[in-house]
Amino acid sequence: MTFKKRYLRVTNLLFVILLLVQLLPNQASKDPITAYTVWFAVGVEVIVLAASSFVKKIEGLNLFLDIIGFLYGLLIVWTLATAKFNLLNPALFPAPGQVFLQFVEDIDKILINIKSSVGIILEGYLLASAIAIPLGLFLGWGARLGNAATYISKFLGSIPPIVYIPYGIALLPTFRSVSVFVIFLATFWPVLAGTMSGVLNVEKRLIDSAKVLNVNKFTMLFSVILPAALPQIFIGCNQGLTVSFVLLTSAEMIGARDGLGYYVKQYSDFGDYTRTIVGLLVIGIVVIIISFLFNKLQRFLLRWKR
Amino acid sequence: MSKIEIQNLTVDYVERNKSFTALKDVSFSVEAGEFVSVIGSSGCGKSTLLSILEGINFPTGGQILIDGEPIKGTGSDRGVVFQHYSLFPWMTARKNVAFGIKQVKKKISKEERFRIADQFLDKVGLEDFKNKYPSQLSGGMQQRVAIARALAMDTDILLMDEPFGAIDAKNRTILQELLLKLWEGDGKQEKKTVVFVTHDIDEAILLSDKIVMMATNPGRVSKEIEVPFKRPRVRAELVQTKEYGVFRNELLSLFYSDIASKIGGDEVVL
Repeated sequence: MTFKKRYLRVTNLLFVILLLVQLLPNQASKDPITAYTVWFAVGVEVIVLAASSFVKKIEGLNLFLDIIGFLYGLLIVWTLATAKFNLLNPALFPAPGQVFLQFVEDIDKILINIKSSVGIILEGYLLASAIAIPLGLFLGWGARLGNAATYISKFLGSIPPIVYIPYGIALLPTFRSVSVFVIFLATFWPVLAGTMSGVLNVEKRLIDSAKVLNVNKFTMLFSVILPAALPQIFIGCNQGLTVSFVLLTSAEMIGARDGLGYYVKQYSDFGDYTRTIVGLLVIGIVVIIISFLFNKLQRFLLRWKR
Repeated sequence: MSKIEIQNLTVDYVERNKSFTALKDVSFSVEAGEFVSVIGSSGCGKSTLLSILEGINFPTGGQILIDGEPIKGTGSDRGVVFQHYSLFPWMTARKNVAFGIKQVKKKISKEERFRIADQFLDKVGLEDFKNKYPSQLSGGMQQRVAIARALAMDTDILLMDEPFGAIDAKNRTILQELLLKLWEGDGKQEKKTVVFVTHDIDEAILLSDKIVMMATNPGRVSKEIEVPFKRPRVRAELVQTKEYGVFRNELLSLFYSDIASKIGGDEVVL
């Protein structure tokens, strides 16, 4: 790639504009916030330049730079509309620098909340998958039981798990256990349904292939049916993961004492919208990171698919 | 006693309250070390017959004996190659072969399994594709892996259900010659007993000791023919001979007389 293709990009131009915009005088005395925007932008630009220098495929670089370009554009507009020209209500729309500042100040609290939320999700999600996948294999394989189970799981799976929360609170000792329980339910039914339909849809000829190799039942179930059903199992797992986040953050807004949903809810109740925005952005970042890791795992386990 | 004895095999299906006879009184035998092709047009029940031999389908009448014992299901004395889907798509070529070996020889170590797998993949010319997944291999290469697996399992009997039926003409001849070479071996080892289903007459002549011709409606054996050509066979030389042409025409007229009777014509002129 030429120097021009690597470094002379609209994204880098937007970076320069973003810095220049910061030079304009602030409306109120908000000096530290300018510094925080600058530090954030410089940090991002370092990554951009590193990527521009080392990335080999132009398509990948284009995608990354386009996304960062949007980010810079947003920051420019946001800075102008808040800190520089005061076009928006400052109580509802904090300047970007204030958000970055708040993030840095609250980082300890945020990490604790991330740990709490992610911990609950992992616990409920892994527990549900660990039970639903083997159960789905057995139910899908035993055709008659599986038919009944399909209808039962359709009925139970159609109840939005969030409505279990009040009942869960009555049943279980802590709010944390209620959250785990709800995540468990949210994950269990889609994973079970995905696994059973995966098993039922395994090519008959693939099963014949295994039969003529004279495999025993255990090998048939775990070395043949399980991998063959894996693509559909992952569909269920994906669905469970998406619903889990929605549910957990909703649940945390109802009665938790920590967690990311609680962070957002608590500060918006106090009218602290800077922290509310910090919370929203952190939730977005956490979800993206987890989905990214999950996708990596999925790609690795399904690498044999074209 | 023959290696495989097929005795009065009958298969009736009931489909939408109509009964349908796929096989009627099929009987023939296969000697140990014999290569037998079952040939016939589609619908003659040749694949049904093979699936009973494989142990994944069961007859409504008659039985099949292997070494004098009736077949009760699948068994580790038989290796199978299908036309499609023999391989597991989530295993590399190597793992597919090693997995097959594991099912028949439970005691040997993992290293040994992979060593044998490599050895047989070399034999079918896939040295450089051992770690590829089936989706990364051509149809012909996939069948090579399936053959390597069946041979590596070292079963007495090989059952092949139109293994080259979906391969293009050029690769089909290459694979036929490869199979012929591997089966004939160097004359020192005992030959495997093979039942090979096909609808390709030249393929059947090249490979077999005996051809079992089947006819349709109901599926039945119409004729058993010994293939008179001596081994080792070389296709290029064999097809040049006058005897080959005569024998081939004889088979063709048998083959087409069945089709002619099915479509209601009197005779088909070749």
